[in-house]
Amino acid sequence: MATGDRLRRLLAMLTWLAQVGEAPIEVVADRFGLTPTSLVAELEMAACCGVPPYSPDQLMEILVTDTTVATRPGVALARPRRLSASEGFALAVSARALLAVDGSDEGGDLSRALDKLDEALGGKAIAVELDAPPMLPVVRWALEGDLPLTITYYSASSDRLGERRIRPRRLFAAQGHWYVDAECSTAGGLRRFRIDRITAAEPAAPGQQDRPRVPDPATAHGAEEERAPEGTGLEVFVPGPESARVRLSVHPSAAWLLESVAAVEPPVTIAGRVEVELFVGGTAWLERLLLRLGRHAVVLDPPEFRILAAEAAARILLRYR
Amino acid sequence: MPRPDRLERVTDLLLVLLDAPRPLSLRQIGDRVPGYPDGHGARRQAFERDKRLLRDEGVPVEVVPIGGEDQLGYRIDPDLYYLPDLGLEPGEQTALNLAVAGVHLAEPSGRAALAKLGAGGELERRDATVPLVDLRGGEGLESLSGLFEASRLRAAVSFGYRGRQRTVDVAGLRFRQGHWYLVAYERDRRKGRTFRVDRIDGPLEVGGAGSAELPSDFDVDEWFTRDPWRFGEGDATDVDVRIDAVEAARVVGELGPSAVVERAEDGSVVVRLPVTDMHALVLWVLDLLDHAEVLGPATARTAVVERLSGLLGSGGGRR
Repeated sequence: MATGDRLRRLLAMLTWLAQVGEAPIEVVADRFGLTPTSLVAELEMAACCGVPPYSPDQLMEILVTDTTVATRPGVALARPRRLSASEGFALAVSARALLAVDGSDEGGDLSRALDKLDEALGGKAIAVELDAPPMLPVVRWALEGDLPLTITYYSASSDRLGERRIRPRRLFAAQGHWYVDAECSTAGGLRRFRIDRITAAEPAAPGQQDRPRVPDPATAHGAEEERAPEGTGLEVFVPGPESARVRLSVHPSAAWLLESVAAVEPPVTIAGRVEVELFVGGTAWLERLLLRLGRHAVVLDPPEFRILAAEAAARILLRYR
Repeated sequence: MPRPDRLERVTDLLLVLLDAPRPLSLRQIGDRVPGYPDGHGARRQAFERDKRLLRDEGVPVEVVPIGGEDQLGYRIDPDLYYLPDLGLEPGEQTALNLAVAGVHLAEPSGRAALAKLGAGGELERRDATVPLVDLRGGEGLESLSGLFEASRLRAAVSFGYRGRQRTVDVAGLRFRQGHWYLVAYERDRRKGRTFRVDRIDGPLEVGGAGSAELPSDFDVDEWFTRDPWRFGEGDATDVDVRIDAVEAARVVGELGPSAVVERAEDGSVVVRLPVTDMHALVLWVLDLLDHAEVLGPATARTAVVERLSGLLGSGGGRR
């Protein structure tokens, strides 16, 4: 282990230990990821550090017994240290984000901790707001109780409403929206749903329908309702192997609109235009993208998508005639 | 005899520099900290490596000119290194740990922060039912911590935005609907304004502490907006948009109920939006495809029609 990493770990251990006073060797070793033997070696080394003349009263006050280690608050290097700007920001923001989730701080520990942080770090200028879609509480309730739900879901990628039977597995907020990864017995596998697109939800009686069925390829892809394998990050769009693709030629001035879109490969510039191949999250999804890009984009392939923007424009224009 | 463990030498160095009432020369450091080589060149080299390591770990090692043949002295100001004890209770530490574990930012500096505060080590086990929150919100954590620092120091800050250099005083940083926003006072316009943090160009220039001149009655809420159609400059036009039953609940959830001016029996609603950027409004409406229609005024309807008409002839493709 590099000396810098060891120093960081030693300081973290000492600062933590000063707060608790004395702790069993196994507990400290486990918490900081060392074996008991190397923990003792590391702390015994630190106990020999100090300032001249290195007499016992000038060494660090670290006590190592057969079973425990101890130090006390106020010992040099065991006192809390100043945070860098990004550390202070990360802490102030993380605490606020969790406080923005209803019911996440029932004992009030987090808000008390945040008050103390703000006092020392001055984070009052920061505010984190998370949206609160109406169906969030019922989805969370089902997740906590491991219960199935019957939901009415609007799939923006296919522009269709449908009923699904799901069992929530994971809840997260990303890019401003709440999502739930859930076993979907309608689609037969883990799917990702945007919670503000769930228009109704009610508990489903657990029963034989709860077993995932064979996947239905017709419902197997979509921007919000996408395969969500366990252990992936919080990507909002996870292209599956069956996702359709489209190749676009885009004027450079509009290329930034593609930044948050899942591309097969990074865009390339050819003769002053940006060419990019994208995973398509459904026809309605591609219509939205093309209307947003306007005249700055041309579909190259596949040919059946070349008239998609014109068709969508004509259809919507009917309302304005 | 040189000691074998460099960590021991570095730890002693840290303690000695923190303990020094006056800056120490390299020679004095060599006398006080065991483990440095005897020869001047080798000692200088070993010390410079240790100093770099400490700085990489965020330790504020000061270098100051001193008299005599050594010329440079070194020390660490304890006030710049230590934080006053926050007095976090065990339950509060656990809560902070869970918050850091449940929130994704662009880099894991929340964990580093907890270690410095004495709440470090293996994070508490997350309960799988506790939601995760992703606050990455596009680019720019670097700008965010710089803006946060400017707000703490009450320092003016300059940056490029939409092709123009701005100097502002930070009033608030807000995360909403997946994006980070800066609410700030623009001195030259004597007005508040909202900026999208991920659209800030290039590095920030943070002025000296106390250089901000934020009016004492500045109201962050008054100047905060996340609606893209309100990012223009000039007077607002009220535009009415009908949203059909499929999207009504979600859109009203986003805009807030005060935007609704009419609710129809079929479940559709009419919302009224103050628009300073018509192009942004048109894009928002088209994102709703067949579920939204601009009702008026005529200029707004025309803007939609022009955008769509421009696409009618498209699609022949090249090649």
